[in-house]
Amino acid sequence: MRILVGGKGGTGKTLVSGLIVRSLIEGGVEGPILAVDADPDANLGEALGVGVESTLGLVREELLENQRRMGPEVDKRVWLESKIYEIITEGQDFDVLTMGRPEGPGCYCAVNNILRNLLDTLSSSYPFLVIDAEAGLEHLSRRTTGKVDEMVIVTDLSVKGFMTARRIVDLAESLGSRFGKFHLIANRVVNGGGALGALSSRVGIDIHTIIPEDPEVTRADIEGRSVFTLGDESPSYASIRSFVGKEILREESG
Amino acid sequence: MEAVAELPFEMGMIYEGERIRGPDMYVELGGPKVKYKAELTQSREASEIEDGLVKVIGPDLSEMEEGGRYNFGILMEVAGEKIEKDLEAVLERRIHEFCNYVEGFMHLNQRYDIWCRVGKKAYGKGLTSLKFLGMALVKLFKAELPIIEKIQFTFITDESEVVEFHSRALEIYKARDARARELKDEDVDEFYGCVLCQSFAPTHVCTVTPTRIALCGAITWFDARAASRVDPKGPNFPIPKGDLLDEVRGEYSGINDVTKEKSLGEVERVYLHSIFDHPHTSCGCFESIAFYIPEVDGIGIVPRDFQGEAVNGLAFSAMATQAGGGKQSHGFLGMAIEYMRSPKFLQADGGWERIVWLPSQTKEAVLDSIPEEMRDKVLTENDVNNISDLKDKLIEVEHPVVNRWEEEPEEAGEERDLEAPVMELPGEMVGLPAGSGVRIILENARIHADRVILKKEGK
Repeated sequence: MRILVGGKGGTGKTLVSGLIVRSLIEGGVEGPILAVDADPDANLGEALGVGVESTLGLVREELLENQRRMGPEVDKRVWLESKIYEIITEGQDFDVLTMGRPEGPGCYCAVNNILRNLLDTLSSSYPFLVIDAEAGLEHLSRRTTGKVDEMVIVTDLSVKGFMTARRIVDLAESLGSRFGKFHLIANRVVNGGGALGALSSRVGIDIHTIIPEDPEVTRADIEGRSVFTLGDESPSYASIRSFVGKEILREESG
Repeated sequence: MEAVAELPFEMGMIYEGERIRGPDMYVELGGPKVKYKAELTQSREASEIEDGLVKVIGPDLSEMEEGGRYNFGILMEVAGEKIEKDLEAVLERRIHEFCNYVEGFMHLNQRYDIWCRVGKKAYGKGLTSLKFLGMALVKLFKAELPIIEKIQFTFITDESEVVEFHSRALEIYKARDARARELKDEDVDEFYGCVLCQSFAPTHVCTVTPTRIALCGAITWFDARAASRVDPKGPNFPIPKGDLLDEVRGEYSGINDVTKEKSLGEVERVYLHSIFDHPHTSCGCFESIAFYIPEVDGIGIVPRDFQGEAVNGLAFSAMATQAGGGKQSHGFLGMAIEYMRSPKFLQADGGWERIVWLPSQTKEAVLDSIPEEMRDKVLTENDVNNISDLKDKLIEVEHPVVNRWEEEPEEAGEERDLEAPVMELPGEMVGLPAGSGVRIILENARIHADRVILKKEGK
C-alpha cells in the first residue's frame, strides 16, 4: 500500500508522515515500511529518529560527476541500484530513503529514467510505503510517484493551505485513476476550529481528521525528539492513530 | 557435496529484486562496509577446468559469525569453443542476474563493488555453504548460455586471498576498459538509438555509437546496449548500421532509416561527425554547443555552464534554441563534452584543427584529447572575447583555419556559390551591424510562431 502525504509547506506533513509510520508499526502491520522523504525542505529521518547519511540527490550527482571515470562497461543501473540500497537507513520495522536536493541545471533524463524504474522495483518489495511529498507536487506532475492508494493532504487553518489541497486533488484527478482515496487532515487547529467549515466548503473538500494544536509536538521539535517519543495521549498521535486504524488498517485487513 | 541432488532453495526469475534487509540477513559478503571484494570471469582452456567444480577458499557460510561482514571474491572460469576473451565481461555481468535467481541470496553491483547478503531464513533452510550457490550458478549458466561447455566457481572469503584476488581483478578491469575505450564504430554491428527526450523534442532521435556518446553525456554505447537488453520496449533500441554511405561524415543508411521513422519523417539524413548540412539533432539536454563562426570559417564550442557570451556574442541559452528542439540547424550541434575526446570528433569538419574557441575550464578538462600541436592554438575566453579580435589572434597563433582564408578568392563577390556553409540566423538577430552592406541569405529558412492570433479590425 502506498500512502502519499502532501500539502502546503509548513503545515506539518512530516509530522503526519512520521506518525502514520508509527501508527502502522504499533498497529501491528506485517513486514517493513519504507518511509520516503521526498521533500527537500523536510527531514523525515529526524522525525523518525534515524540518522541519514546520504541522499538520492547526492548519489545522482556522484554518478553524473564520475561517469567518465567509471569503466565504459560499468552498468550504471546496477551501480545506482546498489547505491540506493547503501543510502537507505535500515531499522527494525522501517527503512528511510531520503531523496535530497533537487536537480541542477544539467540533463537528468537518463539517470531519472533509471531511477524511476529502480524505485518502482524497490518500493514494491515493501508492503507499506509512506511518502512525505514535496510541496511543489513535482512527484505528481512528473509521474514519479507511481500508483497511490491513499492520498493524505495536510493543511493548517490558512486559505492557502486549503487552496493547495484543492490543487492537489485537481491535479491528481487530471492524472486519472492512479489515485485512490483522498483524506484531508487539518493540523494545528485552535479554538475548536470555528473557521474550518467555511474553509472546507470554500474549496469543496471535506475535512477528515482534525489535529488540535499540540504543545508536546512543539516541545519535541525543539528538543529534537522523534515522533516515537510522543506520549500515547498526545492529541497529534491520538488523531493519526485513530485515522490509520479506521482508514488504512481496516482496509488492509478487509 | 556432489551427492546432494537437491539444492536447499528455490531458483527463478521471481526472486530477482528480492531485497534482504539488514535485520533479516545472516551474513554480508562484500558491500560498502568491507574493503576488498570483486568478481571476475576468465576464459580458460578446456583442459584447465573441472566442469562443475565449486571451491571455497576461506571460511564457508556455516563457519561465519551471524551478522558478520566479510571480504569476498567470486572467480568464474569458463571454457568453450566459441568463448573468446571479449565475452568475459558479458558473462561476468550475468553473475549478478543469476545470483539473484537464488531465493534468499542478494547480489548487488559489479566488479570491485559487489555486495551480497545471505538471508537468515535461507540459512535456516539449509543455505549453509557457498557450494550450493556455486552449484546453482553452474546450472543456470549452462542452461541459459549453451556456449559454455565447462564452468567452475571459486568463492574466496579468506582475507589475504581476497586482497590478492582483488588486486589481480583490478588489473584485468583496467585492461578491459582500455580495450573498450578503443572500440570503434567499425568494430560493432549495431548502434543504439535513444528517444528518452522525445517528450521534450518529439522529432529528436539520438544515435549512440562507440565514438559518439549521447549528447547529454550520460549514455555510452555500452549503456544503451545494456538498457536495450534490460527493457527491449524502452527508450533505447538497436539500430542496424546498414550501408556506410560516407565514412568521413559518418553517414549510415541504417541510421537514416531509423531516424526518419522515429522522427516522424522530420529528419531524413544524419551525419554523425559534422555540424554542417545534416548535423545530428538535439533535444535540449546537450552538454555543449558547437557553433560555426563564418567570419573566421572556424568552429567555437560553448558548454552549458559557461557564464556570459561566447566569442560570437551569443550566450549558451541563445544558441540552445537553435541547436535544440529536434531540428537540424546547419552550423549548430548540441554535443556531449565527452564527444570532444572521440577519435572521430567532428572529423568531417577538420576536427580539432577547425576549433578556434573553447572556454578555458572545458579546454582544461579535455586537454589530453587535443592534439599537442593544437593545444596553444585553440583560444579561450582569456585570449579573446569578440569576433573582431578573434581573427588577429588566430593569425598570431598560426591557427590552421587561417590557411582556409587564403584559399578563398579575395574578390569572391556575393553571388558566388559558397563553399563555406551559410549560417542560419540565430533566433535573435544579435550583433548585425546596421548599414554594413551585408546581404543576408536565408537558406532553407523556417518561420516559427508560437501563436497566431486573428483579430477583427477595430475591436
